Amino acid sequence: MDVGLLMLAGGIATGIFGSLLGLGGGILIVPFLTLVFGLPVREAVGVSLVCVIVTSGASAGVYLQRNVANLRLGMVLELFTAIGAVAGGAIAFLLDERLLAGLFAGLLVYVALTMLRRATASPSSDALPGGEADASPPPPSPMPVERASAAPATTQGTFMDRLSGPDYQIGRLRTGAAGSLFAGVVSALLGIGGGIVKVPVMNLVMGVPLRVATATSNLMIGITASTSAIVYLLRGGIDPFVAGPTAVGVFIGATLGSRTAHRIDLRVLRFLFVAVLVYTAFEMARRAAGATA
Amino acid sequence: MKPAAPSLEATIARLLTVGTYASIGLVGVGTVLLLAAGRSPLDPAPDLDLGRLVPDLLSGQPAGFIWLGILGIIATPAARVLTALVGYRRSGERTMVLVAAAILVVIAAGVVTGTATG
Repeated sequence: MDVGLLMLAGGIATGIFGSLLGLGGGILIVPFLTLVFGLPVREAVGVSLVCVIVTSGASAGVYLQRNVANLRLGMVLELFTAIGAVAGGAIAFLLDERLLAGLFAGLLVYVALTMLRRATASPSSDALPGGEADASPPPPSPMPVERASAAPATTQGTFMDRLSGPDYQIGRLRTGAAGSLFAGVVSALLGIGGGIVKVPVMNLVMGVPLRVATATSNLMIGITASTSAIVYLLRGGIDPFVAGPTAVGVFIGATLGSRTAHRIDLRVLRFLFVAVLVYTAFEMARRAAGATA
Repeated sequence: MKPAAPSLEATIARLLTVGTYASIGLVGVGTVLLLAAGRSPLDPAPDLDLGRLVPDLLSGQPAGFIWLGILGIIATPAARVLTALVGYRRSGERTMVLVAAAILVVIAAGVVTGTATG
């Protein structure tokens, strides 16, 4: 019972922090389950994928309703994230646990540095640049959105025209596809949504506005994570008893976080969180080196 | 002439919302049953057995509810793609129909990969 409540509370905490700081759940859930409960990294990744789909699904619906996510572009790119996810899901079971822990430690350091740079450069920004602002359900109340920003300009014209919005034209689809493929592999290996790759690719390479890129990435996470989750599920890599309290906690936490984000000064929180990430990276690196966490 | 996309997006949005909330609701029920029974999440959990799903649900076993919820969570994005395929087919967007069909094929490949190597 105590362990269950602790798992639920930890899920809520990771959901709140992830939502407040614009991070996906996976980056927090995997270390939480691995370091606190001693779960194997691969098992934690399987549970994390379930949590990521939940948070993505709840918010993707809202983003679509508000016309922020670009459905056509998301579907084209998620074809490649899904291919990457199948490959990553298969590879994950071939890799050594310690290598996975090492890869995760590297990811945590990267996120910490990115967050630190953002915190010092732009104090008003809420989301991790190119990160997974996508994985938290947006606030339920309608907020001003560039309504036309994601909708395709036309159903006529070239395929690229149909993938573009009325106020932006996308380009470099092949590079976007390659980036999405990589995002899918990373997602399946580490149990994250992959927004940390997809958003910068869409925004900086393909010319998609950041807000649309974030929402579209969120939409894509569902297919990316569920494709790899299928591989994990069929290989016995998802523990339902661990997934239950964790997923419910993350869902509650992400919902609470999205409702309170606008009332909290995130600058201090962000610096604090960088410290947490660095510490967690250190612990994951120790695990990778063979030390007991 | 009203384009089909907005109504399709609204339909998909509804599907995602309902699917996610219903699935997490089932996981929530299973979690409450698990914790109420005084069991630890770290106890050995039963593997997914589709044949046991209904009996487990009827007998109030936590695993039945949690597994069904997890299946719903994983299936919802695929259902979204299927809905998009139907919507694009109705609006005559052949390329998007092919894209949606290809995604479903890749998901099926995930099932084959997981089954073959599991």
